[in-house]
Amino acid sequence: MLNRTSIFKIYLILIGMSLTVLHSSWINASDIDKKVLNGLQIHGFLSQGWTKTTDGDKKEKNDFFGDSSGKEGSFAFRELGVNASHRPLTNLQLSMQLLSRQAGEDSKGGIRIDYGFLDYTVLTTETKEFGVRLGRTKNPLLFYNDTRDVPFTRPSIILPQSIYFDRVRNFGLASDGVQLYGESRSEWGDITAQFSAVFPQVGDTSTEVGVLGRKYPGDLKTRLSYIGRIMYERDGGRWRFAVSGAHFNIGYDPDLNDPLSTGSFRFSPLYFSAQYNAERWSLTSEYAIRHIERENFFNRGVPDSNFTGESFYVQGIYRFNPTWEAVLRYDVYYADRKDRDGNEFQAATGRPDHSRFAKDLTVGLRWNITPSIMMRGEYHRVNGTGWLSTLDNPTFQSMTVVQPDNPQPLNPTDQHWNLFAVQVSYRF
Amino acid sequence: MAARFTDFLCCILLLLLLLGVTPATSGTIDNVSVEVVVHPSIAIRDISRNSLRAIFGMRLRAWQDGSPIRVFVLPDEEPLHQLFAKVKLNIFPYQLRSAWDRLIFSGTGQAPFLVSSEEEMRVRVATTPGAIGYLKRVNIDDGIQILHVE
Repeated sequence: MLNRTSIFKIYLILIGMSLTVLHSSWINASDIDKKVLNGLQIHGFLSQGWTKTTDGDKKEKNDFFGDSSGKEGSFAFRELGVNASHRPLTNLQLSMQLLSRQAGEDSKGGIRIDYGFLDYTVLTTETKEFGVRLGRTKNPLLFYNDTRDVPFTRPSIILPQSIYFDRVRNFGLASDGVQLYGESRSEWGDITAQFSAVFPQVGDTSTEVGVLGRKYPGDLKTRLSYIGRIMYERDGGRWRFAVSGAHFNIGYDPDLNDPLSTGSFRFSPLYFSAQYNAERWSLTSEYAIRHIERENFFNRGVPDSNFTGESFYVQGIYRFNPTWEAVLRYDVYYADRKDRDGNEFQAATGRPDHSRFAKDLTVGLRWNITPSIMMRGEYHRVNGTGWLSTLDNPTFQSMTVVQPDNPQPLNPTDQHWNLFAVQVSYRF
Repeated sequence: MAARFTDFLCCILLLLLLLGVTPATSGTIDNVSVEVVVHPSIAIRDISRNSLRAIFGMRLRAWQDGSPIRVFVLPDEEPLHQLFAKVKLNIFPYQLRSAWDRLIFSGTGQAPFLVSSEEEMRVRVATTPGAIGYLKRVNIDDGIQILHVE
């Protein structure tokens, strides 16, 4: 389970980066100060998590981030990241982050470039800024998406899954292309806007399973997509509001003798976010409405479909002191807002109705042991399996349509289940 | 069984929330005034709270003449840092931390320079062109310049 090679590679890169920084200090000790002042910075994080799932019936099992329903839970949740940024000129920055994430079957722990881009600020005044970013940028969506794999920036170990899907995640993370950004600061608040014309990342198995229902011989093809966000922050971030959205386009390149044709998949989510920050507590809510369209695959397993999903969560964070923090959240997911209980879906496909929704009540605690070491624990009570990973729970992966005379699959998932998680994180 | 456990946890948490609504007694230093300080070469004497927030939020990166702004801060847990954030920026220290982390880990900005003591702060701000930081009024000497917040 331990992906030792990738961890080793990350360490090698880390050492390499440190050497690059330190190199000049061997020649001349004062150079390191100069380098720092000239804007070379290196930061990173690593984390180890544990997940355990239980339910009432021993025959049924729900797995989250690995074999969590096993006796000892799953330790297959690990995040490692290191980034470097360099600002050779006041209005020019180069940034890159390497990331290795392991979380069950969906993320196997290989190293990938999380982001890597050139940021040029075309115009900057005391109250305004306008610029362009070229390369792979984080998708500007919602409040947490830009830094979603950094444990310290999340409100909980596991982000609200109704909106921050971890089972189909890669095309939501970062994309290659151009991003324009602008900022305006005034007495009545700050407005930040980002707009990207990009090609999303679609080359992994979990995206393919998410889009097509299971693995097929051909490959998904990335197509020009658009992402944007406008954020309004008042009183230095006491109030924060954001509207963000995207229009993701994904195509399909069939293999020889492929059962599928050159179909297309469109994912168009629209998000509304609001947050209030007081000294002791923060209240956050985000709402999503997702339009999904799939057509022209000409296969019974991948029928044309056109539906709209809906999600929201409400979350309260309370800070007892700088060391201890608690979180309480209610998170709701509906795969299809016209079939919230999944009855129509069950009647049409024979698959369980509870795979079409999920209602998750979460309580958690965060302990900042030192400013750079953090430990967390949380408990989720979940009704529904809407966001459970298809790859970790391969019940239907092999059978796209259950035969009417055998409607019960072999390894059923349980509608009501519990998820416990613990995570230790380090940052620098 | 598990549902009851959840209800129980929720009750506890709500209770704690209610208890916590009582005003926070700040563990910061009393009777100490904090001032924004800059390198002596900086020509301006006054700054708006908005611009100060943008500077310490690492979003405003250049002085009016185009030279880079170099931000120096004490560690998050230092009482003077917390006092500075509340009094001069009118935000909570955890908000500064989240704002920095959003920039650092998305590649869209950089972290401020961290100094470990007020003495180091005084020396670094006095000797680094374009530097800005904060100090207790009693620790400010002629080698450094105070910036008034409007």
